Amino acid sequence: MSAPPVVEARDLTKVFPMPAGPVTALGGVSLRIDPSEYVAISGPSGCGKSTLLHLLGCVETPTSGSIALDGRQVASLSDAERSRLRLARIGFVFQRFFLLPMLTAWENVELPQSELRIPKAKRRERTRELLAYVGLESRADHRPSQLSGGEMQRVAIARALANRPSLVLADEPTGELDEATGTQIADLLDRVNADGTALVVVTHNAALAARAGRRIAMTSGRLA
Amino acid sequence: MCGIAGVLHRSGGPVPLELLRRMSDVIAHRGPDGEGQYADGPVGLVNRRLASRLSLAPGSKLRLRGACGSQATALPPVEMKVQGIVAFPFDSSAGLTAMTTLPGFLRVCANESPGLAELLLVASKPEAGADAAVAAIRRVAPGLHVFSNEQLLDRLQRTDFSYFRQISFVLSAITIFFAFLLVTTLLTVSVNQRLGELAVLRALGFRRWRIVSGLLCESLLLVGAGGLLALPGGALLALWLDRILRTMPDLPERLHFFVFEPRAVLLHVAIIALTALLAAAYPAVLVARLPIAATLRHEVVS
Repeated sequence: MSAPPVVEARDLTKVFPMPAGPVTALGGVSLRIDPSEYVAISGPSGCGKSTLLHLLGCVETPTSGSIALDGRQVASLSDAERSRLRLARIGFVFQRFFLLPMLTAWENVELPQSELRIPKAKRRERTRELLAYVGLESRADHRPSQLSGGEMQRVAIARALANRPSLVLADEPTGELDEATGTQIADLLDRVNADGTALVVVTHNAALAARAGRRIAMTSGRLA
Repeated sequence: MCGIAGVLHRSGGPVPLELLRRMSDVIAHRGPDGEGQYADGPVGLVNRRLASRLSLAPGSKLRLRGACGSQATALPPVEMKVQGIVAFPFDSSAGLTAMTTLPGFLRVCANESPGLAELLLVASKPEAGADAAVAAIRRVAPGLHVFSNEQLLDRLQRTDFSYFRQISFVLSAITIFFAFLLVTTLLTVSVNQRLGELAVLRALGFRRWRIVSGLLCESLLLVGAGGLLALPGGALLALWLDRILRTMPDLPERLHFFVFEPRAVLLHVAIIALTALLAAAYPAVLVARLPIAATLRHEVVS
């Protein structure tokens, strides 16, 4: 018997109301992500990749269909419960890093742990471990403005892993980086997945997508 | 041999010299050695300013000319013996004040006694209290306006000082309104500039209330810092205004227009907290309704 999926989406649709008329971003998408799976989703701009990622990450609600995360139906959860689920079970990596500019690399990585009320000693140990994991121990006290793009993305990956999530969702993680730096980030994501975290990457980067165990193509809001 | 005759009014009233002269005539047969009349005048107290102006000391003689009722211009001066130099509780800052007994006062007014008084000060027994004294006097003399010190002060607060209260209220209301507008604008601009950050925090798992409460704290810090600075500023302003207002003539020396009251600080804190909450209300609604995914998309596109 196979392990229960980390996330399972069934018949997801998402329709955005627009002044010129409703736009269907997703039309009947079903997807299952198993533990430790590495899935790459690619497709042309506007095909619904990011929308699917947002739905899987519980930051958007579907127009219809259902999402189960760690066996729990997301639709039945309150906003606070969804927040808690994101905090404890999901890690986000964004194209533009979105580190908090007034915090240091250390503080950015420590932030989700503080919100989860992890004891200070454990937070410090985990933060030190993660910064070493992404190779940035020496930049712990640097603010994002003092880091390069690749370093910022590595801090963002460390932040995503802070609370030991079962699923990491990465939206164009190499989109803002040059090829060499993008390769370093791709290597890091490989390690994250190899260490047991399920990974869903939305990307235009063919080289990055090629590293995934399963590649999904999307067109016009549907899985190809 | 000798003889002495005298008159003592237990009420302290004056003794006419003519009466003394006639009494002396009655006992003149007792001895021819000498004769004289001595009539001691009223006694009184003076304030320090008057004592300083006229170089008076206890035992000094002070000549007073009355200006009383219908005889305002024709009264002879009366000599008064200074018994002491004192500070009167409600003395004006520039006043030259003398106080005497009622008989002494009548003598200064050439015994004109219409039986009228503008103001009577009554000391109540401590065990009875001022309110009981007020009630008792009202029973005896219903036609009098009788007030205790507390009632008089309360009346002054509500009527004579209402002008200052209105000015203070208007100034405070304007200040609070502008503080409210300023902080609301600052927070709204700040939130709009940080929409991406706030959406990221929500995506990372920060609860909606956590973000909103952070915003309320920012508002409290902004308004609270202003309110904290306002305390010494307000105290200095009050001292300055008090000094200016107290230069008005004929004010009691110990009267102050601005008096520190602890409840004013509590009211200040309450107003600050309310202003901070109201100022944060609109930006808090913006944050609470922030669509996470749409904001992240917008941040990436922009």
